[in-house]
Amino acid sequence: MITGSALLSRAAPLLACIGLLAIWQIAALILNTDSFPTALEAIRAVPSILGDKESLINILASLRRMAIGFSVAVALAIPLGLMMGRNRYVASFFNPLLMITYPVPKAALMPIIMLWLGVGDIAKMLVIFLGVSLPVIYHSFQGARAVEEKMLWSGAAMGLSAAQRMIRIVLPAALPEILTGCRTGLVLALITMVTSEMIARQSGAGNILFNALDMGQYDTVYAMIIIIGAMGIGLDAAFEKLRSRLVRWSEPGFDIPLSFA
Amino acid sequence: MIAIDHVSQIFQTSGRQSHLALSDISLTIEEGAFVSILGPSGCGKSTLLYIVGGFVHPTQGVASVNGRAITGPGPDRGPVFQEFALFPWKTVLGNVMYGPRQQGVKSAAAEAQARQLIEMVGLKGYENFYPKELSGGMKQRVALARTLAYHPAVLLMDEPFGALDAHTRTRLQNDLLNIWERDRKTVLFVTHSVDEAVFLSDKVIVMTRSPGRIKQVIDIDLPRPRRRAELLLDPRYQKYVVEIERMIDDTSEDELRP
Repeated sequence: MITGSALLSRAAPLLACIGLLAIWQIAALILNTDSFPTALEAIRAVPSILGDKESLINILASLRRMAIGFSVAVALAIPLGLMMGRNRYVASFFNPLLMITYPVPKAALMPIIMLWLGVGDIAKMLVIFLGVSLPVIYHSFQGARAVEEKMLWSGAAMGLSAAQRMIRIVLPAALPEILTGCRTGLVLALITMVTSEMIARQSGAGNILFNALDMGQYDTVYAMIIIIGAMGIGLDAAFEKLRSRLVRWSEPGFDIPLSFA
Repeated sequence: MIAIDHVSQIFQTSGRQSHLALSDISLTIEEGAFVSILGPSGCGKSTLLYIVGGFVHPTQGVASVNGRAITGPGPDRGPVFQEFALFPWKTVLGNVMYGPRQQGVKSAAAEAQARQLIEMVGLKGYENFYPKELSGGMKQRVALARTLAYHPAVLLMDEPFGALDAHTRTRLQNDLLNIWERDRKTVLFVTHSVDEAVFLSDKVIVMTRSPGRIKQVIDIDLPRPRRRAELLLDPRYQKYVVEIERMIDDTSEDELRP
């Protein structure tokens, strides 16, 4: 049986969204300017974007770049972070490099990268890669560093080699922390995806948005914001489902419904 | 047989200072003996155990098992730590099966043996629980079963019951003794509890505080199988406890003298 409070906590994210849209609607009606359409007008423009073949191709191209940039980043950042966490020399070599690059907004590098690699997919995927890598490295590093020495000793006594201990003890033990980094990375991937397309206008979801802005099609602009926002929520929810499956063994008894998962 | 031959351990502390943790320790431990290392905290008794485990390399001297110098950890020496050090992503069954699986035992055989061990340590019914769902005493039972599963010739126990409440501690001591009396593995047991050392051991090694030296080796000549209720009333047991406690007090006073 679902209790009242359980029902409320499940419905809360939906209520929050409806509330936000309601405030938007009222604010737009009060301001009554062309550049700020009402929520209903924006929502009404969503199906026409998703129904348009060219727009759909653009959005899928964005998602593809994001998927590749994200995957490559995760595949390289996790091993690097884990090695940094377990080896003092690796850590003292890479730490300063990461500290220097951490505060640089990755999208700000886009114009420079465009000079080398052009405005195509490679440049955009590289920016996404850079955006995702740092939080994943950082969290993998922290996760690996926190692995109990005695746990590794127990593994060594069972006959696990150093490489086996890395893969079969450090990796699973650090997994909750690694996945926290990946979740941050996923959101950053979406942000850098849109900003990269804002700077290198050629194709993609960001391109549709900023072209519509140039042409004064404000309902399309806001509809795209809704679509990108929905993509973010959807990806995060899917990732959260995967994450909680993988690290159920480490979860405390309850969790806050941050998403629609 | 474990032989420790003129072993010293120096740790580099921050500020380029060096700390002599163990000073010239020589010691032999017979096969099948239950030996406790007893001393105040900071006397290097755990370090000595880690050297036998191969987790720490001595600065000077050699430790060997059956005539072969120890160069690293190996499945012939199984540790049980105060911190349990279970694999939290594995269930109780998964933890106990881990060592044998690593050594190439077939899954079905490893599982059958693991279930037996889990029953032996009194955790039947908890096979599919994760470590975070268990109490401290239960975790230590799993850790013991996990180590016994790969049949080490020597058990290295590093204050295994130190983090447990008094009641759980007593029960685990009894259960450990029952298990040990069945298969008589060599046990090296680090503790700071005099009662525990006398109750369990054939031999108690009393160490001095930093630098760790062997102060005295006492043979505990009490009949086995030992039963707690009888032992506590036994004047010989009481005499050992008082004698060793006095010895440790002396050690502390040495420390205070400038």
